[in-house]
Amino acid sequence: MQPRRDNPKPEPVWRSLEELYGDERLREVTEQEFPRFAELWPDGASRRQFLKVMGAGLAMMGLAACHPPREAEDIVPYVEMPENVVPGNPLHFASALRDRGFAMPIVAESHEGRPTKIEGNADHPLTRGGTTPQMQASILTLYDPDRSREVTHGGRLVNPLAFQSAMRQLGEASRKRGGRGLHILTEVVTSPTLARQIESFLSERPEAQWHVWEPRNRDNALRGAMQTFGRHLEPHYDISRARAVVCLDADLFGEGPAALRHVRDYALARREAFEKRDRPLPQVFAAEPTPTLTGAKAARRVAAGPREVERLAFALAGRLDLEVSAPREDLPRDQEALLRAASAALQAAGPQGLVVAGESQPPAIHALAHALNERLGAFGETVRFTEPIEAHPVDHGESLRVLAEALHAGEVDQLVILGANPVACGPADLELAAAIKKANVSIHHGLFLDETARLCDWHIPATHELEEWSDVRAADGTASIIQPLIAPLWGALSAHELLRWLSSPPLDQQATSALDLVRETWAEAAGEGDFRTFWRTSLHDGYIRGSEAPSIQPPRIDRRALRELAPPRPDAASLTLLFRPDPSLGDGRWANNAWLQELPKPFTKLTWGNAALISPHLALQMGIKDGDEILIRAGDGEITQPVFTLPGQAAHCVTLWTGHGRQAAGRVAEDIGWAVEPLRTAADWHALAGVTLRRTQKHIELATTQNHFLMEDRHLVRSVSAEHPSAHISHGVHGGNLLPKMLTDDPDSYQWAMTIDLEACVGCNACVVACQAENNIPTVGRREVLRGREMHWIRIDRYWKGDESNPKMYFQPVPCMHCEKAPCEIVCPVAATTHSYEGLNEMTYNRCVGTRYCSNNCPYKVRRFNFLDYTGGAAPSEQLQRNPSVTVRMRGVMEKCTYCVQRINRARNDAQMDGRRIRDGELKTACQASCPAEAITFGDLHTEGSAVRRQKESPRNYGILEHLNTQPRTTYLAVVDADEGGSKH
Amino acid sequence: MSAPLFDKKLDDAGISEQVAHPPLHGGFPRHWIIGFGISFLLLMLFLMAVTWLLARGVGIWGINIPVAWGFAIINFVWWIGIGHAGTFISAILLLCQQDWRTSINRFAEAMTLFAVACAGVFPLLHLGRPWFFYWLLPYPSTTTLWPQFRSPLVWDVFAVSTYGTVSLLFWYLGLLPDLATMRDRAKHLWAKRAYGLAALGWRGASSHWRRQKAAYIILAGLAAPLVISVHSIVGLDFAISQVPGWHSTIFPPYFVAGAIFSGFAMVLTIVIPVRKLYRLHGMITARHLDLMAKVMLLTGLIVAYGYLIEGFMAWYSGETAERTMMLNRLAGAYAPAYWALIACNVVAAQTLWFKAVRTRPVVLFVVSLFINVGMWLERYIIVVTSLYQDYLPSSWGEYHGNFWDWATFLGTIGLFFALLYLFMRFLPMISMSEMRELVHHRPGGKSER
Repeated sequence: MQPRRDNPKPEPVWRSLEELYGDERLREVTEQEFPRFAELWPDGASRRQFLKVMGAGLAMMGLAACHPPREAEDIVPYVEMPENVVPGNPLHFASALRDRGFAMPIVAESHEGRPTKIEGNADHPLTRGGTTPQMQASILTLYDPDRSREVTHGGRLVNPLAFQSAMRQLGEASRKRGGRGLHILTEVVTSPTLARQIESFLSERPEAQWHVWEPRNRDNALRGAMQTFGRHLEPHYDISRARAVVCLDADLFGEGPAALRHVRDYALARREAFEKRDRPLPQVFAAEPTPTLTGAKAARRVAAGPREVERLAFALAGRLDLEVSAPREDLPRDQEALLRAASAALQAAGPQGLVVAGESQPPAIHALAHALNERLGAFGETVRFTEPIEAHPVDHGESLRVLAEALHAGEVDQLVILGANPVACGPADLELAAAIKKANVSIHHGLFLDETARLCDWHIPATHELEEWSDVRAADGTASIIQPLIAPLWGALSAHELLRWLSSPPLDQQATSALDLVRETWAEAAGEGDFRTFWRTSLHDGYIRGSEAPSIQPPRIDRRALRELAPPRPDAASLTLLFRPDPSLGDGRWANNAWLQELPKPFTKLTWGNAALISPHLALQMGIKDGDEILIRAGDGEITQPVFTLPGQAAHCVTLWTGHGRQAAGRVAEDIGWAVEPLRTAADWHALAGVTLRRTQKHIELATTQNHFLMEDRHLVRSVSAEHPSAHISHGVHGGNLLPKMLTDDPDSYQWAMTIDLEACVGCNACVVACQAENNIPTVGRREVLRGREMHWIRIDRYWKGDESNPKMYFQPVPCMHCEKAPCEIVCPVAATTHSYEGLNEMTYNRCVGTRYCSNNCPYKVRRFNFLDYTGGAAPSEQLQRNPSVTVRMRGVMEKCTYCVQRINRARNDAQMDGRRIRDGELKTACQASCPAEAITFGDLHTEGSAVRRQKESPRNYGILEHLNTQPRTTYLAVVDADEGGSKH
Repeated sequence: MSAPLFDKKLDDAGISEQVAHPPLHGGFPRHWIIGFGISFLLLMLFLMAVTWLLARGVGIWGINIPVAWGFAIINFVWWIGIGHAGTFISAILLLCQQDWRTSINRFAEAMTLFAVACAGVFPLLHLGRPWFFYWLLPYPSTTTLWPQFRSPLVWDVFAVSTYGTVSLLFWYLGLLPDLATMRDRAKHLWAKRAYGLAALGWRGASSHWRRQKAAYIILAGLAAPLVISVHSIVGLDFAISQVPGWHSTIFPPYFVAGAIFSGFAMVLTIVIPVRKLYRLHGMITARHLDLMAKVMLLTGLIVAYGYLIEGFMAWYSGETAERTMMLNRLAGAYAPAYWALIACNVVAAQTLWFKAVRTRPVVLFVVSLFINVGMWLERYIIVVTSLYQDYLPSSWGEYHGNFWDWATFLGTIGLFFALLYLFMRFLPMISMSEMRELVHHRPGGKSER
């Protein structure tokens, strides 16, 4: 506003704006500022009008008064702004989780101090961003309301001071005794800091013993290495260089700390070989008693019992000119065929061949595998050796046996258990439940008040990896710093802190935090140079550069020793039990994780419970159907299990999953599954021969998510070969066009699309859990799964092809297809599902009234309905996990895959801020980011040269049910059929 | 010469006496109390089921993915189909001047109304969030959102609400002169007042009659196309989709025929016992039963043709999913239901070729029951067997109604019969005015006064 210039007399003093500017001018100014009010009062408002407005005003005041009084709230800004925290923008921190003691590198997403999502660390040299379902689900365990919360002694709560002094006294007492009677039981420890702490703790207590127990241990590999090399060497396989891999009951892709790397190497190597056509496709040959992820991807696979696999190994050694006593009897025809193909492939591959023995195979077979690899010249090529990564590499079975003996003999004064749960997961014949009670004082440290904790005097709740400072090594030795993203939710302590108290530290060291301890460890290792930079870089990267374990040259193998090995005699047709970790729950440590309980297991699609897997042959022989209960008797022990018929299962083998039917896992696991541990003894840890099965009269409904496993001639999973690289079937409608006919032809728009490479997918399920974590997808429980109401937005369909005794197995992840002509959209009466400008088929939850017609009309059946209130009952701590960018759906609402629209929108925001388009690869959907095989590609079709565009141009690209003219945006890349594509180069 | 449509001895006073007696002086006979009692209990079951449904959500039913529609839709289609016979009798037969409709049309219209009421609750209960049902109505909302008019479910809203309104008006308009008769004959003060109020001041003036007749014919003209359109649209609810077993052009006519088929079966199911209990043989004669049976025979044949063509098209299309669907019906998990449907709707209906069946009330009653069950099964087969195995074998899954499904279904049967019993107790169940007219005009009819 400018003072009026034309005022004839300057007025030095003014009393109001009107006086200063003149009435007319003021009105103009206010009109400009509030143009909407300008016309509110037309000239000459009448008395009548005035009364009207006054009346209305009074009524409004009355209405406003109807609001209930609010509690006074204070909104106070941060006094000190936390670093980098912008409300609404998540932060990402690199860290690591532990799986069987080894690092699973992650990047965790944190919203205002609350971690919500775990992604793989794409920079990590070993995993390169891949994740497992367990890594994805770990975030739920962090918030599990059943985690133990307080230190207890004899079941009673103990205050922190009393706890500290008690621990100090215990530590003092054990030091005075020189450690006699002190036994520490840990899981696999790869943490340099924890190892350092334990070693220093033990050095003051020289007579103390350190036991290690991990149910999914690698004892046979260790014994095999000892047998071969005379010492424990750790083999590392490089699948990216391999041309032929023979797996002797080894699940390279599903088991072991380096599985993520194997999956990735294999997928990328095959893709590259197919695209460049300059070399034959790498192939896997598998002999295994029960289907594994590796077997499903194998070019050739035979179903063979564990003894038969051994015999096959000897025969293979014979074919490759190793002097071993080859089995005298002829092999069955299918095994002979595999043997011939595998030995030929190995010979052709030479140093690029690889033979891997599985953990359930005896040490002799591991020794044979090493000898075969040496024979092929694979050392240094496809397999390298390092010193063991474990800090205390011992024979776990032996170690636990020694502990059990000491306990039974009453020689144990103090028993400190860090994390392990041997009562639930240990060998039944050690009778640890009774033994632990004989210890003078027992201390258990763990996430849950589990079976072991209940028998111990002390229980100390452990921190989750996202709550603690620590460090850990990955399978290749690369170390990561574990950094906390949240303060311990409840009164939990890390193992480092517990050990510090137990070491009865002098007063000045009592305040040493876990962070100090970890920094101390690495201050030494960092050596010269700026520690601050080292520390920050390591935290930022999520791993410590150059910490990979160096390769060592293994000693030459003494082949004469091999001659002493002999193949086992063929079994009489007795039944063999195979104990295998549950694909989702592992040894049972994930039993209280609802995401993993509800995760359909790769081959059976079973959720919420286990079953004895039997071959179709055995099912026919016994006349039993899926869900019939059987009684399994072995020696004195007997258990009951429902059966599940699994094609590809060796005829006389029964697979049992461990980790179920736990007594004290938590509320989620209550009454879920049937324990198999009572039959598991130290001697027959992996397999138990000579058992009898008897059918009981009971029938148990199995909660599977897929009941039909045949493709019914519908060309859903297609395969191509080098000669016939096109995925289009002759009698179907050709999908010809690269781009679906889009609703918009605006070239500046984004057009989102996805491809899923079925050749790369190993069916590991990581994407399913990743999607669940990202999109706030509820679990529904066993009963609801039985009713067919699971909520997964992406599912992995599994199909069999061919002979039921050893079929081909295919995995097909199915998210929403985002059809260009979406059948769901036209039938919704309220326009709750509509098409976006960018080609997304969008779901507007708060418009949905729940007619469910969209689901009926969806030929892909990817829509999920909230039949009941699935989200309301979540515990407060569980609600912390939820992604704030995704609506939590209420009952009666349809939902489905959105292509992670919240991520698209975030990327769009970022791009708009920078005034650019979203770059290709900048944006990853949750499923895509989680995939260790990079099977899922997502991006914009309008971006020239985008990855998804390249994939869509591939001759392998095809859509499913294209003949319905749905024009799906999600398409598939056909499997490269191993039988044809691989060998014909 | 066909059998007479009414008792020759019937006169105006006799008609009024016979029809007006039960509401005014009939009291509560034992059969009424038993029948109404059972219906009322079922109605309470219905209320319980609905309460639980609203408290917990549609998940209390057995529905799932892939079979996301279950009893609610089956029952909806079944009930609305039953309603069609009423409209067919009262409107189309009126326009066609089929005199034999006179004695049954009141009944049939009441049945229509109650069936539509039963049908109408299902789409609401079926919704995941029933409290937002009005989002299917085109009303000017602040969000400026309209229903999605391409969806047949929206057409359904118009069709069913129009149908309900027209049926109610039509029924009430026809009832007016009779209400006046009731008022005049009633002895009790409150009965007089109630009937008088409902009669809207009908005095029997010729101007009243003229206007009533005109309006009645106009409404009949409006209702007649509804008989065709409503169930055509219900058929389109399915046919618009691409679900194998639903995606079929034959659905509209096939649904209309099925509706009339089931509606007549329900009329017979009700009329045959009522005729006996209230001794209405004079007005609802064997001739009526015979004619209704003939309509059933015709529509039953059309329905059978529909089944045949469904099978043929599944084979002729060459589409894997369609063929699988058809084979599943014939031999899949629901094959017993399918063959029961064939037995009820096709085989049982063929007995109607025989006059002995058509004119024998007990036999006809049994046949009508079969057809009622058969038509329910038909909707069950259409909804369930089409959905349970569609395109992707991985998603196949079965559906079975559970306790709450059945409770809701039986509950609406309770609602239907409770309303019907109240109707029989308190309103003239045969149109007195039209009967008098018929007796008056027809040769052989005698009239006094």
